[in-house]
Formats: sequence, structure tokens, C-alpha cells
Amino acid sequence: MTTHQLSSVADPPGPAADGGRTRSAERPRTTMAARRHRAFYLFTSPWIIGFTLLTIAPMAFALWLSFTTYDGISPHWHLVGLGNYRELAGDPQTWKALGRAGLFAVVSVPLSIIAGLALAVLVNRPIRGRGLFRTLLYLPAVVPPVGAGIAFKNLFDQNSGAVNGVWTSFGFDAIGWLADPYARYVLVMTVLWAAGNVMIISLAGLQDVPRELHEAARLDGASAWRTFRGITVPLLSPVLLFQTVTGVIASVQTIMPMLLAPVPGTSGLTTIPQSDYTYMIHVFSEYFALGRYGYASALLWVLFVLILVATGLIFRFTSGVVFYNVDPEANP
Amino acid sequence: MQTHARAPVSRRRFLALSAAGAAAGTASLGGCALQVSTGVGGSGETVTMMVKAGDLTPDLVAQAKKETGITIKQVDYDITKLIAMLTSGDPPDLVRGVGAVDAAYFAARDVMQELDTYFAGSSVLRLDDLDPVNDLWRYDGRSQGKGPRYGMAKDFSQDSMFWFDTAAFDKKGVGYPSETEPVTFDEWLDNARRLAQRSRGQTTVFGGSYNGLVKLTLMATMTASAGGSLFSDDFTQVDFTTPEARRALAWYLDYCKAEVGPSPVLPDPNGWDGPTYQAGRMAMSNNGYWMGGLIGTDAKLAQVSRLAPAPVFAGGPRVSACQGGTGLWMPRKAHHKDAAWRVFEWFFGEAPARARATSGWGIPSLKSLRPLMPAKEEYQRRTLKAQENELRHFSVIAVSPYISVDAFESLFNQVATPAMHGAMSVGTLAGQLNSAINKQLKRGKEQVG
Repeated sequence: MTTHQLSSVADPPGPAADGGRTRSAERPRTTMAARRHRAFYLFTSPWIIGFTLLTIAPMAFALWLSFTTYDGISPHWHLVGLGNYRELAGDPQTWKALGRAGLFAVVSVPLSIIAGLALAVLVNRPIRGRGLFRTLLYLPAVVPPVGAGIAFKNLFDQNSGAVNGVWTSFGFDAIGWLADPYARYVLVMTVLWAAGNVMIISLAGLQDVPRELHEAARLDGASAWRTFRGITVPLLSPVLLFQTVTGVIASVQTIMPMLLAPVPGTSGLTTIPQSDYTYMIHVFSEYFALGRYGYASALLWVLFVLILVATGLIFRFTSGVVFYNVDPEANP
Repeated sequence: MQTHARAPVSRRRFLALSAAGAAAGTASLGGCALQVSTGVGGSGETVTMMVKAGDLTPDLVAQAKKETGITIKQVDYDITKLIAMLTSGDPPDLVRGVGAVDAAYFAARDVMQELDTYFAGSSVLRLDDLDPVNDLWRYDGRSQGKGPRYGMAKDFSQDSMFWFDTAAFDKKGVGYPSETEPVTFDEWLDNARRLAQRSRGQTTVFGGSYNGLVKLTLMATMTASAGGSLFSDDFTQVDFTTPEARRALAWYLDYCKAEVGPSPVLPDPNGWDGPTYQAGRMAMSNNGYWMGGLIGTDAKLAQVSRLAPAPVFAGGPRVSACQGGTGLWMPRKAHHKDAAWRVFEWFFGEAPARARATSGWGIPSLKSLRPLMPAKEEYQRRTLKAQENELRHFSVIAVSPYISVDAFESLFNQVATPAMHGAMSVGTLAGQLNSAINKQLKRGKEQVG
């Protein structure tokens, strides 16, 4: 079909074509552009409605709450303006919790990306039972966090956990893994345990790397490491950037410490070891243990803004090192 | 520019329409929510109960339908969900609550229905038949234990008592505590130290567990046992620096530091004492009569288990309060109050109440049901005797309506954890607890008005 033919389909004949008496003269026929618009809105409207109802509306509500002393139930709450924001700015617990969340992100995100990438490289090789290995390595990622939390809690319990069972069988004294200072290492282990998530995305990226580039490098005498560093990593860089951004967002929002808490339940939030008392745990504690919906909402809004800033900074600092096959800014 | 009648909607206009649609959708969803528990009048009504899974079995729901003609719709208890339902004006008709800590808190916030009129007209739940434990569900606007009734306990225990395993005592050659006369807290801790078994940094058998039902009731009750009061007369402040409160606090810190039993710094992975005690890994367990329900299911365990009185401080009064009194309350905005009351009567005074009384899972909250408490076996008679003796020392310890049980627990654990590790003195801890908890009490007072 030629361009001319396409145009003739897109632009139906005007009213004059049949003497001004046709149906389209009385009621203009829907153009292709209008149909496209309608289709666009029909396809996107469920998402937009869902986004408005389940994201925009709760966020707006939380923003309003952040200016109040509301606790969900008491009759005499009142507006405090920026009072909650002023309080959090001067609350050392908030900044310490934020610092721990940042440290957790700085440690866990690179580790999980490196572990996931290493696993992806391994299971991308033509080895026997490759499918089985891929499945086994990915399995932990599909375990619900609550199940994983219970499993880790039981494994690392000081008195009855399997880890200390093995440890003491070598003649060592048992370790309180879920208490300071070891709790932070267990938390990082939970992230590495679920590195299958990162692996599966990296694996998809690896399979998109053109084979002929590797063959050309091999013909030129490049070593496996040189090929990986010079070809694989640059071509994977958009995937790695994606994993960095989503990893940072997920790590500062992690609730895994809550699932590893020594004392179960809402009031047990504050028994979480200091090294695991991250920002989201502070938020949960203020919301559900202390019933301070207003203050906790302010904490969440600050976190939201900080995540936006962190994401912007990551994009800015990686703009020169991420390799795109197509210009990401170009219109298709 | 003239807009064509069939022109596609602009994106901006579409987003505006979407937002309007979303708002309308939200409104209609709210409307739907209001209709959730709408039933018809009389015996065909549906009553929504927010309870825990163990409180109401499917058999009981079927039994309720058969005996009252009322359908029970069960919603799992969740405080966040409860607050959402109360706020949206669509609360459950009956809600699970712990009388000792929930009654004053919710009543002060005016979300509970006064039940005096219902009690006055009931032939099933007669006022003269109510056990004094039900006073935990009374609140007069200032203090717990007096004023209108807002709920009722399904059963109760004196939660400062403790069970002990004679086999564990025999193994370590430790003499049994008396089943009628209380040991002192110091003697209890000394026993726990002797009974604890450790190997390579692991505690294989806990010497004893003593954590109360929650920290709020534990501290209030222990301070009363030392002869003082944790709260000020108007319940707007705590004072951990009084000699009595400090004595209670110091003992609990010693208990935590000794690592003889579960605590925030030495958690029991089972979450509560029952399974650990049953497995022979705990020599003493601070639980009242109600744990006999579990013990009675294990004949071997029942033979070696004894119930002992609540410990006392040397020279202090004998205090043995109920720290729970779990039962039900009716929200002020409940939609089916009369039907809910009928279920309330049935649950607390008819077949389910009789079944609970015979099971050993707590002391009945109606005096008339006491004769049904299990006393067929020797161990049951022994336990009942110890319990009946202890009832003479029953009291109600009022707590503040200005702080939730979770908030107190949370702040206590947060502030006290370093002291439990031995990194803070009792005096410093008392001051810090006063500061943190009084700040929350002040907020609560402002919110309640």
C-alpha cells in the first residue's frame, strides 16, 4: 500500500463527493486519527483510573495527613501546618534511620547486581541442566517476603537455628545473628538470597548481546574477561542502570527487618536491632505502633522526595557511561 | 477556534475527566462499603464480628445461625482495618478487645457503645452474675473499673501467676514453689537461674519466662505489687522514678540481663511460651489458668505441671490482677446493634460460654458457670484449688486511656533495650521512660480532649 493509498483511507471523501446528501455529510465519519485517540484512551484508561484511585488519591491524602495530628481514631486532631516536617527535621532517630537505609542501599544494591550478573553469566553458558539451574536460582525470588522472613528467622535463631547448629558443631560458641552487630549481615544475606530476580533480568540482557560481537572479539584475540568488560558490560549498561535505580528504591523501602523482628507484631518494631532500624521501620513504627498518622505521613513524603532526588542523581551521573543501541531521547 | 463535535478529547481534558471519574468511583466505593453488612431485621440479620480465627470457629458460626437465626460474618481482627472501618462509618458490629488495655482507650475516644441498657434488660447476662473481672470493661470518663459497661470478658486468668514443670525442677534438684503461698520475685529469679540450661552460648532450656501479658500491664501490675502506682491519679503521666516503679523496673532488667527466659533481647522464636513449655524447654511460664487449656491436651505434660500464685515483692502486698480479660465490644456506630447484642448474649452466656468453661481455657466470666470448670482429673482438681485460692487476691489495675497498648510496648522496648543489655542504669532508664512515654501520653490527652 502506497502513501497515497494510506492517505485516501485516512481521509474519507468529503460531503461534496455524493452531492451533499450522504450520511457522512449529516454526521461526520470518524477519522483514523480520532479512532487512534479513542483506542489510546480506551487502552490506557484502566491504568489511569487505577493510578488515580490507588496512587494519586492516597498520596494526596497522605500529604494532607502530614499537616495534621490525626491518629485515625481520636476526636480532637488538628492542623499543625509544617509542624510535622519541622519535628522530623530535628528528630535524630529519623536521620539515623535514613542513614542506615542509605548504607543498606549502598552495600546491598551493588552486591545483588554483581551476584545476579555473575549467576546470569554462569547460566547463560551452554552447560547441562541449564534450565534446572536457572529455575533453582530463580526460585528464592518467587518466595513471598513473609515466608522468606520466617525462614531466615528460624535459620538464624540463636538458640534453635540451624546456622548455629552447624556453627556450634565445629566447637564455636553460638552467635546472636538476629541481634546487633550481626543483624545487618543477615539482612544483606536476605537480599543476596533473592538475587535470582536480578539474574533473570541480566540473563535477558545477555541474550540480547549480538553473538557476532563476541566472535569478532575472539578472532581479534581478546580474552574472556576483556570481552566481558569491553562488550558485554557496555551493552548491558541500560539493564544495569535499571537494576540500580529499582534496587535503590526497593532497598530504602525494604520491610525485611520487620519480618526478622525479635518480637512479632506492631509493638515489636522497636525491638528491631539498631543496625536494622531503617527508615521504613521508623515509618511503620510511627504509623502503627505510636498511631501518629500525621507524622508518619510527613516521613513518607520526605522519603518520596528523597527517592526522586536520588533517582535524578543516578541518571545524571550515569548518563555518560550507559550505552543505548538507540537514542533514548529520540522519538520513534 | 471552534471545537468539532466529534473531535477527539484532548489529553488534558481526558485526565481531568479521569480524575472526576476517579472521585466519583471513590464515592461509589464508599457507598458500597456502607452496604456490606446491611441485613434485614429480626432473626435474619447479619452481624459482622471482627475477631481472631481461634475466637470463632466455622462450627460456632453455624451454631449461632441455628440457635439465634443470625448470620455471623467474620472479619479477621486487625487494628489498622478496625480504624479504617470506624473512620469510614462502617464498623463491625462486634469487635474483639482486651479489656485491661483496650476498654479505656477506645471508650475515651467515644467509639464504644454503652451497654448498660442492654445488660439491664437481659435475662442471660444478669448483672449479679457478672464476675468482677468484667469491671475491666467499665470506664467512667476518667478511670477504668467504674462507670458504664462497654464490653465483657469471655473468660479470664490472673496473668501474674506462673506454671512450673516439676520434671525440670527435679532434674536440677530445685525445690518446688508452693501452690498456695507466693514466692518473692527474687526467689523466682533465683530459681530461674538455677533451672536454666545452657550449652555453647545457646539456652537449651529457659529457666523461666516472666513478661506479663504486655509491658503496660506488666509494669503497672508489678508497680502495684511493690506498693505503688505507675500512673498519676489523672492517668496523664507515668512515673518510673518512684521507689515502687524503680523496684519493678530493676527486677525486670535483672530478669532480661540474666537471660534466663524470653525477653526483647532473647526472643523465643515460638512467639509465646506455650510450645516451648510443652516441649520441655521452659521450666516456669508466666501464664495464668488459661494455659491449662493447652496443658490439658497433653496428658504427660499435665502430670508434671503445677500452677503457682503470682510472685510478690518482699514486704509488698499480694496483688494478682487480670492483665487481659479478652472479650467483645460494640462500636457506637454499629449498624445492627440489637442483633449484635443477641449474638453477644449467646456468645457470653449460652452454649459457647458453657463450652469454654468446660475446656479449661480460662475462668468463666459468669459466676454461674464456675461449676463447669474442669475438675475430673487429679491435676485439674489441683489446678482449680490453686486458682480458687488465688482469686481471693484478685484486683483490677487501671491503665491510662491516653496511650495505646502498642505505643507503650513500643516505647518501652525502644528505650529499655540498651538497659536490658546492661548499657544503662535503672535510674537513667526510668528518666528516659518518663520522658518518652509522657510525651505520648500528652499527645493522647490532647487528642481525647
